[in-house]
Amino acid sequence: MRRRLPAPATRCPLTVVGGFLGAGKTTLLNRLLAGSHGRYAVLVNDFGAINVDAGLIQDHDGQTLRLTNGCVCCSLADGFLDTLMRVLAEPEPFDHIVIEASGVGDPGAIAEIALVEPGLVLRGVVVLADAERLPGLAADPRLGDTLARQIRAADLLVLNKRDLVDEAGRAAARATLAALAPGIPVVETVAAALPAAFFDLGGAGPDRAWRGSTRLRAEAVPHEEAFQRLLYRRTGAFDRVALERALTAMPAALLRLKGRLGLADRPGMHLLQMVGRRWSLSPLPEPAPDAAELVGIAATDPGIGPALAGLLDAALRPPHIPHGDRTRCA
Amino acid sequence: MPSEITLFEARRIITMNPSRPDATHIAVCDGRVLTVGTQAEFDGLDAVADRRFADKVILPGFVEGHAHVMEGTLWRQTYVGAGDRRSPDGRRVPGLRDIGAVVDRLSEADRSIADPDQLLYGWGFDPLHLGGARLTRHDLDRVSTTRPVMVHHASLHITNVNSLLLEMAGFDENTAIDGVPKLPDGTPSGELQGIAARLRLFRGLGYNPMSGTLDAADVARFGAAAQLQGITTIADLHNDLTDATVAVYGAACVEGLPVRIVPALASVSCPPEDGVARIGRLAAASTDRLRFGIVKIVVDGSIQGFTARLLPPGYHNGAPNGLWYVAPEDLDRIVGVYHAAGIQLHIHTNGNEATEAALDAVEKAQIARPRPDHRHTLQHCQMATEAQLRRVKALGLCLNLFSNHLYYWGDAHHDLTMGPERAARIDAAGSAARLGIPLAIHSDAPVTPLGPLFTAWCAVNRTTSSGRVLGPEERLSVAQALHAVTLGAAYTLRMDHCVGSIEAGKFADFAVLDADPYEVPSEALKDVPIHATVLGGRVFTVPPA
Ligand SMILES: [Zn+2]
Repeated sequence: MRRRLPAPATRCPLTVVGGFLGAGKTTLLNRLLAGSHGRYAVLVNDFGAINVDAGLIQDHDGQTLRLTNGCVCCSLADGFLDTLMRVLAEPEPFDHIVIEASGVGDPGAIAEIALVEPGLVLRGVVVLADAERLPGLAADPRLGDTLARQIRAADLLVLNKRDLVDEAGRAAARATLAALAPGIPVVETVAAALPAAFFDLGGAGPDRAWRGSTRLRAEAVPHEEAFQRLLYRRTGAFDRVALERALTAMPAALLRLKGRLGLADRPGMHLLQMVGRRWSLSPLPEPAPDAAELVGIAATDPGIGPALAGLLDAALRPPHIPHGDRTRCA
Repeated sequence: MPSEITLFEARRIITMNPSRPDATHIAVCDGRVLTVGTQAEFDGLDAVADRRFADKVILPGFVEGHAHVMEGTLWRQTYVGAGDRRSPDGRRVPGLRDIGAVVDRLSEADRSIADPDQLLYGWGFDPLHLGGARLTRHDLDRVSTTRPVMVHHASLHITNVNSLLLEMAGFDENTAIDGVPKLPDGTPSGELQGIAARLRLFRGLGYNPMSGTLDAADVARFGAAAQLQGITTIADLHNDLTDATVAVYGAACVEGLPVRIVPALASVSCPPEDGVARIGRLAAASTDRLRFGIVKIVVDGSIQGFTARLLPPGYHNGAPNGLWYVAPEDLDRIVGVYHAAGIQLHIHTNGNEATEAALDAVEKAQIARPRPDHRHTLQHCQMATEAQLRRVKALGLCLNLFSNHLYYWGDAHHDLTMGPERAARIDAAGSAARLGIPLAIHSDAPVTPLGPLFTAWCAVNRTTSSGRVLGPEERLSVAQALHAVTLGAAYTLRMDHCVGSIEAGKFADFAVLDADPYEVPSEALKDVPIHATVLGGRVFTVPPA
């Protein structure tokens, strides 16, 4: 009798997209599919409920899109689980699995799958909120607890439909998010327009896009002035415990961080992936060149470059002095 | 050549036809009732006398308005619940009252399965009726350490597995999710709950044992289990109705199957616009024995699982409010689309907040597109307030209450979920009857056992499994309860013109009882033996229990 499942050769990243009905989940998924080049499996829920959304999602060239249905939080979940089992058993692994929680579903319950499924690593739980409806929904006696459960599950909050509210409305929406999920990064969008780079930071890796840079830079992402791209490049290796502390303390304006780094107590390079508050480190099959290279996406905020560099530098154990001058980091 | 007429004679015939409530003879021709009356009225009729029920009492065949074909599927597996049940082959399967008995029955099943690697699957386990006793992997390891063993709870939300299956799923002391609780020694207890744990369980097995495709034998077992209880029409109230399922149903629902089946399309299986089109196609494929046309919507979870949506003051024990399975605004839209298309809806609401959302949705649909006699039915509707019931009446809705809950979970509702006051009006059939709301009562089998006389007994007595009476003011009379399991349920399925009572022109569908339910003490209503059933004039005997 076969006892254990064979250990997976690779771990597929899982992103869970949640948010109440109409928050923009499907728009975000469409952007994700349009802006990426990998082989994606996308599991969409709420078939019966928001069929308009399901109809919007187009099968994207070179990607695999799977639709399922049923509320994944309840006893009707078997159709969803059957689909996910087929995705996980696919002989050619996917580059990324994205699951859209239902409009009343708990994305946290779905994210738990990655905690027990060795073939998956949780990239993050992205929860959208409709800036216009958010304060009202949060106060709705029927819906407030469902909404709070969703928002508390987020690693990154997307406050969408920013164009539909004035400054007072925006402040009310942000206050609602801050009260429900203090400290979770919030990115404000119109039509769920996260920067494309958010999904596909640096293509295959940060080196391709940013090789040659020697210091942390911040630059506006073209046409996406609300965001800036950050680069952090150092020699040396990180102290693991200090790095964990630094990542936990990252400013809320940092939405995404990805890159390769060495750890002082481990051989080889490691891949850091961070979405909002959630991060993971996984070993890479290549020798450590005793250097770190990270790219990030942040909300426009002049202080974020120095803040990020300061936190990371404090965790770096330099056999070598870092290149560049910390104070000059943009 | 004219068709042959059969004249059935009985000690008493309770017709449910108000203008002719009692009779002793029924003439049947071509599967339908020709006429109902007394001996003198049949003088000179050229009929074949059938006197085999001459000392029996005949009622309309019972109508179970809310069950699931899974009742037929599960009987492939091993029943380990606390209550007595009858398996489809007529055997009485005693309830198991302690963990040792559960282990013994599973061990017996283990010895009877030849393939040493095949999953052993028990169902119906209910710790509430075992004094809260937990089943652990150590118990199931006594059944087998070499074969995967899993036991599904009656709630259908929790599964217990043996150590081998834990290992196959990859759960150990390092597993850190709430759905995999630990024993004091830090190892998993074997209890699994939630989608993450379930995914790993299925991955470990290599398949999902709960989602196998339906086959004709499942439908046959479903029909046989129902027939034993005097049922002649039964709803399968949540089905994806894929082409494959529809084909299986079509092949199974033929002469020889002792019941008529009414499958409901699960609204969650497709967008409502597609559902309207599917119902249109399916309705054209309906036959006398298989009737499509209704749609099921599930609004919230279960009360005992704390997933039902409750209005303030919420759960008695302070548990957080439950889950919406569909958002109220989506419910409005889905109800609106089906309602406008003329389709009848069966809406599952357990908690009273879910009931309120369903009432709002139907009210909006009625304002947008007034529709006479829609007969949308609230299913379970266990916590409806008196004010909500008045809206049910005003909106023209029907109710199908889950009266079996009174017995099976009434004590839990009294102590934990609702507290004494609200538990006293759970499944408020008495109020519904006083308000004149069309009323049915149901088992939700396999959640609780099939048995309309038992369900009627629950509504008449309102006695919990510990013997407590919950809300005597909400009791039905025996006559009201018998109406609810016959013509009342037929009305909620839009079949009251052809089943549910014994009158000229309707299907000759009968339940034949050994005793008169009006003569036995009401506490003994559930014990009246079913002697036989008749479907379309054909007699199906019931083996003695
Ligand atoms: Zn049901």
